[in-house]
Amino acid sequence: MTASPMISIQHLDCAFGTKQVLSDICADIEQGGMYALMGLNGCGKTTLLRCIGNLLQPQRGAVLVGGTDIRRYTTRQLARQISMVRQHSHTDFEFSAFETVLMGRNPYQRRLQNESRRDWAIVERCMRLTHTWEHRLSKPHEMSGGEWQRVMIARALAQDTPVMLFDEPTSNLDIAHQFEIMELLSDINRSRRKTILIVMHDLNLAYRYCPSLLLLHNRRIHYQGPMHDGLTPATVRQVFGIDYPFLHRSPL
Amino acid sequence: MKRLLPYLLLALLLLMAASAAMGAVRLSWDELWRSPVFLNLRLPRILLCVLAGAALSVSGASYQAIFRNSLTDPYVLGISSGASLGAAVAIVAGLQHSLLGIGGCALVSALLTIWLIYRIATIGNRLHSTTLLLTGVCLTFLIAALVSLLMVLHQDKMESIIFWTMGSFSGATWGAVLTLLPVVVLGVLVVLRHARDLNLLLVGSEEAQSMGVEVEKVKKRLLLATTLMISFTVSCSGVIGFVGLVVPHCVRLLVGPDNRRVLPYSIVVGGIFVLLCDTLARTVLQPGELPVGSLTALVGAPLFIYLLYRSKQAL
Repeated sequence: MTASPMISIQHLDCAFGTKQVLSDICADIEQGGMYALMGLNGCGKTTLLRCIGNLLQPQRGAVLVGGTDIRRYTTRQLARQISMVRQHSHTDFEFSAFETVLMGRNPYQRRLQNESRRDWAIVERCMRLTHTWEHRLSKPHEMSGGEWQRVMIARALAQDTPVMLFDEPTSNLDIAHQFEIMELLSDINRSRRKTILIVMHDLNLAYRYCPSLLLLHNRRIHYQGPMHDGLTPATVRQVFGIDYPFLHRSPL
Repeated sequence: MKRLLPYLLLALLLLMAASAAMGAVRLSWDELWRSPVFLNLRLPRILLCVLAGAALSVSGASYQAIFRNSLTDPYVLGISSGASLGAAVAIVAGLQHSLLGIGGCALVSALLTIWLIYRIATIGNRLHSTTLLLTGVCLTFLIAALVSLLMVLHQDKMESIIFWTMGSFSGATWGAVLTLLPVVVLGVLVVLRHARDLNLLLVGSEEAQSMGVEVEKVKKRLLLATTLMISFTVSCSGVIGFVGLVVPHCVRLLVGPDNRRVLPYSIVVGGIFVLLCDTLARTVLQPGELPVGSLTALVGAPLFIYLLYRSKQAL
């Protein structure tokens, strides 16, 4: 096993005004792992994700990526370490799928420098991998939610970072597309050795695709470790307050 | 598509020549080059139009990316009006002969306006687009009221202040051209340097940051550069509305949303648009003149309403 974890979250406190959102979060994310970050709405999942991406400043504690505090990276350097895919993002201005994925190469380009052949080749490879190459000239409104989500994943891939964060990548998608996206992430995790952290709600999908689990409850880490040990009926009842029958059967 | 720029540049040069030949004083081509009407009136005026057009269009395109809103431009947000208030104060204070003085005052009050807009329209840490536009409109009203008060209190200077609120190139001088030129060149260069950052900002602030853009720093730098251009443009020509809305919008229809193309095209098309409006303004009702600001508004306001209508449908 590797000596130090890919991401190390140390005693993280985060509050919005007087409202404490995360308190004393400590977690290690191993290199090459695929983690589901789960918990009830408003338990601070997205906040934690944004802290890891240095989009939010925690009140206390630190996040280390590859052993280095993220605050010691420049914005460009950090963008070569961590990429992020948000919930369906939208803009007034219609860049094509290809132009969108090409933006992922930004942290490698100098000011005023145009895309190199290498950038183009990487973009093509990422778009082929995500099966979006045939949509490369399409605009967001011409594509379905699932197709656009794959474009966003291609953009994150083009950023070529060891760590990839996903915020509910399958929300607003039908069940077939949810599976398709999770298959894709699982494939990226295995074939390209990316460390992946996914905020998600669907217990079945998480159980099936993510070997590791980070469970947040009442602003704290409730459980971290292997999925099949963590996601027991007792835990589900305790954290989500429901009796979810799926674990009695072989999940899906 | 990509080869359009040289043709547009040619069109701009032809328009400049045509504009030079037109006007209340009729001159043959031979007389034109030596005539003081051309050298001291028309030529600086034409150059000022092109500079103002470039400055306003590039600023508009930047604002649309910074505020992530296709409906913003320096005029709609009240930044131009903010600059005109500073200019009016400078005139009242007796600085009317110093373009640098007027420009400096305009810059200060325009920056103050931006700061106010940011403070009012930011909810949490998000800039709310409807609130943004409403704030701009309200500030425009407030500033118009302040400028009217200044005019009533200083009736001796009313005429020069009215000039600023209506917008006109009739006072163009070589001094104005030479003051505006370095400001616009500097401002445009700063914005062009950040063309790719502007693309990423269009997608979203946080996304831009996670793709390596130092969002806060870039936004501040761009707001400063554009406000500098707007303030000095307003000092030279008064408030000319909607240029920053019309030009980038038309350019995007031609070349798509990529700011690395939108910005250079906006410089040229902005020059064409403002020069065309001003040439019409001074030739249609000879020997009288129309305020050029009302011509640009005649094109811009309907476009704004159309864009608003379309964005309403999209929601």
